[in-house]
Amino acid sequence: MSDKSNPHIVQSPPEESFCAGCDSCEIICALAHGEAVSPARRRLFVRRDIRTMYHTVFTCRHCDDHPCYNACPKKGAAMRLDGCIAYIDDAECVGCGACARACPYDPPRVNYDRERKLARKCDLCRTREGGPACVEWCPVRCLSLLEIASEVE
Amino acid sequence: MSETTNSYGYVGKIARINLTTRTVTEIPTSRYVPENIGGRGVCNRIFWDEMRPGIAAFDPENMIIYMTGPTTATGIPTGGRGVFTGISPNSYPEQYAWSGIGGSVGAELKFAGWDGFIVEGRADAFTYIYINNGEITFRDAEPLRGLLVHDTQRAIAELHGGEVQSFVIGPAGENLMRNATITTSNDNVAAKSGFGAVFGAKNLKAIAVRGTGDVSAADIPKLFELRRRMGSPSMRKNPLVRELTHGMDGNEIPVEGGWLRGQVSCSHGCNQHCNRLMLDMKSAFGDGRVNQVEKCVGIFAYGFQEDCSWTPIQNYETERNHFLACKMLSREEPEPDTDDPHFDALFTKVRGDILNFWKPDFDKGSVMMDMCNEYGIDKWDVIVWFFTWLSMAKSEGLLDNLDFGMEVDVESEEFVRYFIEMIAYRRGEYGRIFGEGMARAIRILGKEQYGDALYHGRVSQVTGERLDLPVSLETAWGHSYHWQGRGFEGTINKPGWVATSLELMNSTRDAQTVAHHHDKYENYLQFKDDPCRSPLLVDGVILSENKAEIKDSVTCCDWQSPDLYWDSLEAEMFAAATGIPMTTEELNRAAERSRLLFRAILIRDFGRTRDMEVAAIFPTMRYPDASGETVEWDEWNDLVDIYYTKRGYDLTTGFPTRETFERVGLPDVAERLYPAEVEP
Repeated sequence: MSDKSNPHIVQSPPEESFCAGCDSCEIICALAHGEAVSPARRRLFVRRDIRTMYHTVFTCRHCDDHPCYNACPKKGAAMRLDGCIAYIDDAECVGCGACARACPYDPPRVNYDRERKLARKCDLCRTREGGPACVEWCPVRCLSLLEIASEVE
Repeated sequence: MSETTNSYGYVGKIARINLTTRTVTEIPTSRYVPENIGGRGVCNRIFWDEMRPGIAAFDPENMIIYMTGPTTATGIPTGGRGVFTGISPNSYPEQYAWSGIGGSVGAELKFAGWDGFIVEGRADAFTYIYINNGEITFRDAEPLRGLLVHDTQRAIAELHGGEVQSFVIGPAGENLMRNATITTSNDNVAAKSGFGAVFGAKNLKAIAVRGTGDVSAADIPKLFELRRRMGSPSMRKNPLVRELTHGMDGNEIPVEGGWLRGQVSCSHGCNQHCNRLMLDMKSAFGDGRVNQVEKCVGIFAYGFQEDCSWTPIQNYETERNHFLACKMLSREEPEPDTDDPHFDALFTKVRGDILNFWKPDFDKGSVMMDMCNEYGIDKWDVIVWFFTWLSMAKSEGLLDNLDFGMEVDVESEEFVRYFIEMIAYRRGEYGRIFGEGMARAIRILGKEQYGDALYHGRVSQVTGERLDLPVSLETAWGHSYHWQGRGFEGTINKPGWVATSLELMNSTRDAQTVAHHHDKYENYLQFKDDPCRSPLLVDGVILSENKAEIKDSVTCCDWQSPDLYWDSLEAEMFAAATGIPMTTEELNRAAERSRLLFRAILIRDFGRTRDMEVAAIFPTMRYPDASGETVEWDEWNDLVDIYYTKRGYDLTTGFPTRETFERVGLPDVAERLYPAEVEP
């Protein structure tokens, strides 16, 4: 995989703003994309630690070489590129899950519901005026858009 | 609404889970909604329809009902809360009660396609229930037996994946300790009703839920408007803060090196973060450190020399000065409007009584909290009742003949560990007795000697006088004082505690958890001199009671509702979730229906009458408040008359009249409660 990622959503360090564990980002993500609220429709993931209550928000890094896009059997139709953003066209997606399997991260940053054959991934709310909705609506402002390309950790 | 069809707000079905027969059946939610709204409103209807007199809390016939509301999982703020109801083992006597809970199980349950569940029967082997979308199965819980709360949660996550959400009990619930909690994520608990012990009686360790389905609100633009407006101002950073001291008003303690404070939300989709997370605290188990949530009562575990102070703005508000309760714990109160002509009166703090229960001790407090969390015990009763009793009874020399196996010393961490473990596991004679909860333990020991004896160590900071108090801080229905003029959070003045006591009288458990009393200051000015003869005060009580029903039904949070200057808030939430138009008046009518069902259950199954409830509450107000005030028999009964009249109850029996039931569309309830000749 490429050692570069592109602008993406990042979580603040706790000393700057501590994730309150409210899941608002997941909810808003689905709503901002015109969908119902559902774990299957979120495009970022709050991994809860029920003991420490340090919650981690996993987001798509928008890899420079976008392996999810390359793995799509209908790339250019079901998986498309808008600059550095690989995004899914729901109407064209057949739900094969290849994009999720190709994601180099753990957990995969493509949300794939095998049963319902639904694949969802972050598109940085590319058509939304005002940018990513999760950033705008996080009640504790612990999410932000990292604008510059960065080294993959 | 068609049966079992998904619709906005609701997902369409309720699971009836029978542990005896290991069967699951579906009930269409539309059987109960929208008339009963959701949450507690639906629970009350189900309980009324299905239960009968003569059932005890630990009988297999007792049912635990859990319901979400139409806002749950939609993204409407605070809708993540849900409600358990059933016969409470912690109420004295056992009665039908409720317990709210946050966390994410409610949302996950709706993602799984269920608006709620009814658990009935008793499993013949130790069991947990796994709800995986539409499939509900009964699993062997023997490997989970005896596990602490967080170990249970961890084990369930290992079995079913990190996304699973769960309700679990700890050892206290397994041992039928009557203060046992049901616990979920972020240390959220259903505590006061002791439903954890009902899980234990049913041989039920946990309910784990995984769902991947959809939940839709009807009006998304409105949902976003609510997110913007509720809890405003919001949307600011939430940094971890190193605090150098802990406690307040006479209980402050410097903490060497400081302690780290975070703020977390309690439930799915909330827009606030009022729960205080204390990081890297001393654990009761091993040498490790733990992070734990502290809510309002927890702060007194660390030191309890002086009672909580009271500032009138906590109860009485003006248009220029009112803010949400959740802003207090997150320390985000807005700047007060000092130009408000009532500013001084609203913001003048009244210091609490000197009580001298125990000195500040940061590590001991943390151990006490951790043990409650891990054993699954209601912190409230441990902090406010068990240990205050131990302190006062010791001070008055009442414990000389009781051999607990260790010298009673509430200042000692070793004794704190010993006593909490004793009651959680019900070890020995006194473990068995105190595992019954304080109300029952005091009666087993002898109430006159061990409950009603006076503590001579209370000094009012209002009058400077010694004001004696019973060593057992018992108020009505097996619960301890809560914003009632004496005991814990006792500093509120008479017009306030008259109102909260009336709310408790009509309840079966502490009402000041979802019905924290609020009224307008302009009203207060009219009733403050003679509160027991004020119809206006009663209007405020009815408002608080009805709003409590609404909050637990829509659902929304007591810390954001009511907003006295945004009366339609909950109706707007309901309409945004369901798409069903709703006015404030219509929602209030639904709240009245829910309360009437509750009262009908109490009359039918638990013998509730006016005499019974007045007798339960009146003695608790005979002890002086911080100003030395009490209530007289006649004035209290005058207040009850006003309340009953406004509610439409018979003044002699306290039974709602037939007309009252019919007025809100419950003629069937009247018909069943008063068959033929039995008129109230």
